[in-house]
Amino acid sequence: MNLIIRGIVQTQEITLLIWRVLRGIFRPPFYLREIIRQMDISGFGSLTIILLTGFFTGAVLALNTGSTLQKFGVQSVAGQLVALSLIRELGPVLTCLMLAGRVGSGIAAELGSMLVSEQIDAMRALGTDPIKKLVNPRIIALVTMAPALTIICDMVGTLGGLLTAITFQGQAASVYLSSAKEAVSFDEALGGLIKPTVFGFIIAIIGCYKGLSTTGGTVGVGRSTTQAVVVSSILIIAVDFLLQKLIMTLLLEP
Amino acid sequence: MANSTSAIEFREVSLAFGDNVILDRVSFSVRYGESKVVMGGSGTGKSTLLRLALGLIKPDAGQIFVDGEEITAYTEEQMMNVRRKIGMVFQEGALFDSLSVYDNVAYRLREQKAPEKEIEPVVTRMLRFVDLEDAIDKMPNELSGGMRRRVGIARALVGSPKIVLYDEPTAGLDPITARTICELALKLRDLEDVSSIFVTHRLQDIEVLASEYVVRDDFGNLLFEHEGDTMCLINTKFIMLKDGNIIFSGSDEEMRQANHPYIRKFLDKER
Repeated sequence: MNLIIRGIVQTQEITLLIWRVLRGIFRPPFYLREIIRQMDISGFGSLTIILLTGFFTGAVLALNTGSTLQKFGVQSVAGQLVALSLIRELGPVLTCLMLAGRVGSGIAAELGSMLVSEQIDAMRALGTDPIKKLVNPRIIALVTMAPALTIICDMVGTLGGLLTAITFQGQAASVYLSSAKEAVSFDEALGGLIKPTVFGFIIAIIGCYKGLSTTGGTVGVGRSTTQAVVVSSILIIAVDFLLQKLIMTLLLEP
Repeated sequence: MANSTSAIEFREVSLAFGDNVILDRVSFSVRYGESKVVMGGSGTGKSTLLRLALGLIKPDAGQIFVDGEEITAYTEEQMMNVRRKIGMVFQEGALFDSLSVYDNVAYRLREQKAPEKEIEPVVTRMLRFVDLEDAIDKMPNELSGGMRRRVGIARALVGSPKIVLYDEPTAGLDPITARTICELALKLRDLEDVSSIFVTHRLQDIEVLASEYVVRDDFGNLLFEHEGDTMCLINTKFIMLKDGNIIFSGSDEEMRQANHPYIRKFLDKER
């Protein structure tokens, strides 16, 4: 099939899936236990990699910018620079790229293998709507857990920057922290949380779509998994640009 | 109007995926209490018939009736009620990997929010029916292929559906396990009066389903009898599919006498 036509068909199918999700998400049955289980898997399960990613990103950010700031004699704004970069950009994007790699791929693989082993059909045959049972809990889990993990990533990143500033640049902790505090306004924080909420939705919907549209047996499952990560990562980065423009227009500019 | 004596009826049903024609104006019906054995080579649309009957896919043309209701244009929500009347046994069992045998069998009742004290006796009874009570706490990956399918049968029978669809339940099994599966189908046909479509390409299954029956003696024991020369089973009929068309429909005796080269080749090869 022509690449353009395939793109249009996939967009149409994803839109249809989103429509079915939105239509069913407020109607019973609600699978609360499944939602909590998915939150545990995608949220708590990703904590370690988010902690590590956040910490080292903050640390290396302070390290890289330290010498430049020193050149201009404004070393004292290191905290502000690290915190702002994390809240606005690096926290949401890195957290969600990590989630796309870890959770999005897992969703596509799990749903894909359920599809090829006829478990999805069995579910429908036994009277369950797979969208409600499988897709909705994963979407709710990621939409809530992605911002939560982003907050943790931002905090740990700022801490990583602090350790670098103290250890390698001889800065006082109080200077760094007060500078960092200055960067955090309500609008900045809000903007920094809108992004991961949208990204979380993207990761879940793409993972579910790729999983549920798997064809070609176990080889197909591998293909779906890869595609889920690639497509959601690209979408995260592209949507990030659009969201940033929107957030700047609506929230940050006077 | 649908024929009220049919549990399942297909009228001129056609289905194609792109240029690939799967079913071409197929018509047949399964009477109440009847077992319809669907045969044919791989890729002839046998499993597709079952998926159509269950509403998992929709036909391009034609009408499908289940228990007198036309389901052709039913939405997913409307199909949920129809599916309660049908038990489906999938090819490899299609058990939920993340759930234990107990939870797999209990699945339908849990979805219907039945209280746990009602679920347990049903699950135990179903597992006893397929002779797998000991496996109740096992996970699907600990079971053999035959056991998985028997659990699949137990799961399909929860809620006592009057229609059961079997999608090649004996494929890839050793003869003894395959016979056990066929005996379960006989028990449902002869003792529970279940209507069914049994998809298979194994001649051994056909032999068992066409010539044996089950009775319960005065002490409640099950006896598997052969039809012999004096009687003939009328509750099992056969259809043969080829290239999306039904090329034969009738009893096993008629099938054995049929002259169609494909049927001859099929019967001789399997023998």
